[in-house]
Amino acid sequence: MSDNNIMKGGLGTGLLILSVIVLVASFGFVMYNLMSHGHASFNVSSSLPWGQPISTYLYFALASSGLGLIASLPLVFGFKEYYGLAKRAIFLAFIILVSGMAVLALELGHTFRMLWAIPFNMQIQSAMFWMGVFYAADLLFLLWKFQKMESGDWDSKATRTIGIASFLGVLLASGNLALIFGMMSMRPFWFDGLLPIYFYLTAVTSGLAALVFFTYLAYGFSRGAMPENLQRALTNGLPKLFAAALGLTILFIAARAITGLYSNNPEIHYVWTNYLFASPIYVASVVLGLLVPFALMMSASLRVNPAIQILVSILTFGGLFAERYFFVVGGQVVPLFKGTWAWDMIQYTPSITEWALTIMGSALLFTLYVLGERFFNLSATPEQPSMAESPERAGQATA
Amino acid sequence: MAKWGMVIDLDKCTGCQACTTACSMENNTLPGESWQDVLFYHEGEYPSAQMKWLPRPCMQCEKPSCVYVCPTRATYKDEEAGGIVFVDWNKCIGCKYCMIACPYGVRFYADEQPLVEPDIRDVYPGENGQMWSPPYQNPEQDWRRGIGIQPKGVVSKCTFCHHKVSKAPDGVADLDEDDPDLVEYVPACVRTCPPKARFFGDLDNPESNVNRLIGDKHGVRLLDHTGNRPQVYYLGAGAGIPAFSPRKS
Repeated sequence: MSDNNIMKGGLGTGLLILSVIVLVASFGFVMYNLMSHGHASFNVSSSLPWGQPISTYLYFALASSGLGLIASLPLVFGFKEYYGLAKRAIFLAFIILVSGMAVLALELGHTFRMLWAIPFNMQIQSAMFWMGVFYAADLLFLLWKFQKMESGDWDSKATRTIGIASFLGVLLASGNLALIFGMMSMRPFWFDGLLPIYFYLTAVTSGLAALVFFTYLAYGFSRGAMPENLQRALTNGLPKLFAAALGLTILFIAARAITGLYSNNPEIHYVWTNYLFASPIYVASVVLGLLVPFALMMSASLRVNPAIQILVSILTFGGLFAERYFFVVGGQVVPLFKGTWAWDMIQYTPSITEWALTIMGSALLFTLYVLGERFFNLSATPEQPSMAESPERAGQATA
Repeated sequence: MAKWGMVIDLDKCTGCQACTTACSMENNTLPGESWQDVLFYHEGEYPSAQMKWLPRPCMQCEKPSCVYVCPTRATYKDEEAGGIVFVDWNKCIGCKYCMIACPYGVRFYADEQPLVEPDIRDVYPGENGQMWSPPYQNPEQDWRRGIGIQPKGVVSKCTFCHHKVSKAPDGVADLDEDDPDLVEYVPACVRTCPPKARFFGDLDNPESNVNRLIGDKHGVRLLDHTGNRPQVYYLGAGAGIPAFSPRKS
């Protein structure tokens, strides 16, 4: 079934070697700089403490959550046409989350202390405490669910229960991640009770981008080489879902932008006028990373074209990476409690070390991805063992 | 136990920054790591523009948002110590969430690029786990309360000079630098203030001078709408920060 998976061949080996080299080099570079200069090798400051490493973590964590939500379509809600995508989605969700956590680990002042200080102090009032709890649970459920799939158990009662638990875990983890920002009333650009909805939408959009890209990558960007059920998913439901997710994401960003532009509150208004819309990169990320992909996916003929699907997934990757970055930095660029003492907005450009950290996370993702494609059959479906033999049982599983 | 509060009279403050310097000397902070600072700003435009300034320590809030967000309880409000908000450097993981959540911008992560060159941390490299070790440093150290010179990777902040005020006699209503018996227990910024614009005392004691000043001279707390309820009060005209506006068109 997955004989055409090029990751199992020479190209996969090449990508693996390249990814490992980039991973080792970027990790070495980051560690050298952290050991020699500490966090002074980052361009963040006490005025703007969260920079690109945090937005990279956010990007990875939410792409993982999006993949988890997409996988729940067949595994929890019974959309059988997505069965072929489910196992790869679960695997990608796991490795993207691991990559994001690796980036976060190197951003913190004391990574290993976190491992005991968070569980032993039980500060349940902190959203960050719950981030640890929910993402740890998310990681565990993803692993457990993948293990069940790997053993061919797709529809037992236990698997379905794990699937539901995982779905809830994903909702809680990404919703809570949104509230880490959304509950900060002293940061008006972020303060928004509906931020979890925005995070769910962008999570699904970035998850779809990841799923489409990595599915194509596994088959040498050739849809014809894919198993039948994957081809069906990529020509029927998934492109429409991608278009809908992009459209809703744009809608939510538009609502936030209109509110911000209308508001007189300088801590929101100036972020939109003097930072976001003043940045050609932000404007380009919205146009090329969201509006163009949406327009392409709204065309019934273009959205099923493999080249367009690959292009859209790459554009959306970039668009949402920028969106996360500008979201995180945008909440801090207006100097806090400085009034007119501050000459201008806080200037921040990621340092080479911060970029290296982003590259390290991406290289780790690619490394784990190639290993996953080589050692597992990520296009596996439950059809052969269970559906063919017991249609009632399969129907029950998706009910 | 007392509930320590500070009163700053803006009608007396000259913006001389003696408090900032005294704090830096007392607590061995790095350039830019201004636990206590005086912010200068303008309000209005010509011909009615005003030059203003605001001394700004940690507000030691009654409901401190930094404490609620800390995932490890490293930052905590110690009611036994007069309601001072501390950072336990043995627990802080350097996530900087407290710096995001503090509305007053009075928390510092000194493991960052130096404000001035040469980097004083390179000139006096750290020993015994400290980020840096100057030739002279205050011998008072208590990492569980964020007192002393911090290690790398943690957040630091004003402690209301806990190492001094904690030694004050029990039941004292005010720590007045003019009282020879109490002068050693007065926070450095209060003790050094040349125009005597700062007052320090027990907010729970109805007889204290700080309570009298707040009541008689209409003391206000800054950013009251955040609900953080500072234990630092301001007297006089213009207690507040004008809204930010970028000066580049």
